[in-house]
Amino acid sequence: MLWATRQGCHVDRTACIWLIRRFLDPGATFAFFGDPAEAPEGAELFDVVGARLSHRGEDCSFETFLKEYDLYDPVLREIAEIVHDADLMDEKYARPESEGLDAIVRGMQLSLPDDQTLTGHTDVLYDGLYAYLSREVL
Amino acid sequence: MLLVYRIPREPSRHRVAVWRKLRDLGALYLQDGVAALPEDAVTREQLEWLQLRVREAGGEATLWEARPGTVAEEAELVEAFRSSREKAYRAIIAEAERVRRKAQMGGGETLLEQLNKLEREFRAERRRDYFRSPLRTEATAALRDSRRAVRAATGTAENRDVGSGK
Repeated sequence: MLWATRQGCHVDRTACIWLIRRFLDPGATFAFFGDPAEAPEGAELFDVVGARLSHRGEDCSFETFLKEYDLYDPVLREIAEIVHDADLMDEKYARPESEGLDAIVRGMQLSLPDDQTLTGHTDVLYDGLYAYLSREVL
Repeated sequence: MLLVYRIPREPSRHRVAVWRKLRDLGALYLQDGVAALPEDAVTREQLEWLQLRVREAGGEATLWEARPGTVAEEAELVEAFRSSREKAYRAIIAEAERVRRKAQMGGGETLLEQLNKLEREFRAERRRDYFRSPLRTEATAALRDSRRAVRAATGTAENRDVGSGK
């Protein structure tokens, strides 16, 4: 399935892409557009204003994904808190991990040429977070 | 980037939420309902969500890529961004020095917690300090000295530090 979002991915979108690949659609392909008008036809849009899978109320897109797809994994819920704090910077959950994650992904954005390359690398980060938090939560 | 918006006066919580978010981002109000932020991927995204939020609250908002017409005006704006951070940095510096003096006089129970809180504030400030206010260096040095003094005063500082980090 083709998924599409805006260019310039940061924590929320890189985390959503990881979530899609690992939990929803292993064969997913992704497109990144500059303007919503350039979004490829038939693609499922996410983290885009007005899309089903986007910010909703206080939630960031990653949190909306968990709700829309009924993902009740407690580890994912914890990752959602970290992603929320890094994305919205409102310290809602006061997760210390979010500051480090924010710095790393911002830096990767600068050092890697484009979103395809970036999101080819960020999965490892979230795999690591998932494994780390699994030890604590379960 | 400019967020130009108008939001219904009542209920006031939407108006306040938007104002607070802009303040936290370090935006400058050029006038009532016209907030400016330097453009990068993160600020653009935050402003886009804010725009959505204003619309959801029944208001109007448009996002503009804009730049002042002259070099002088642009320099003025940059200076205004820098000086908008000064007050917060000065407060952090003063507080860091107070903690350092207390630590050097033999300390107190909660100095480490105070220092950690101060460092959190500093990091938040640094995130919205888009043009490197000159006081940032001073604040960094004040916090470093303060941490050194607190660690020297409380022999167990290192252990407690790890413990509070979750």
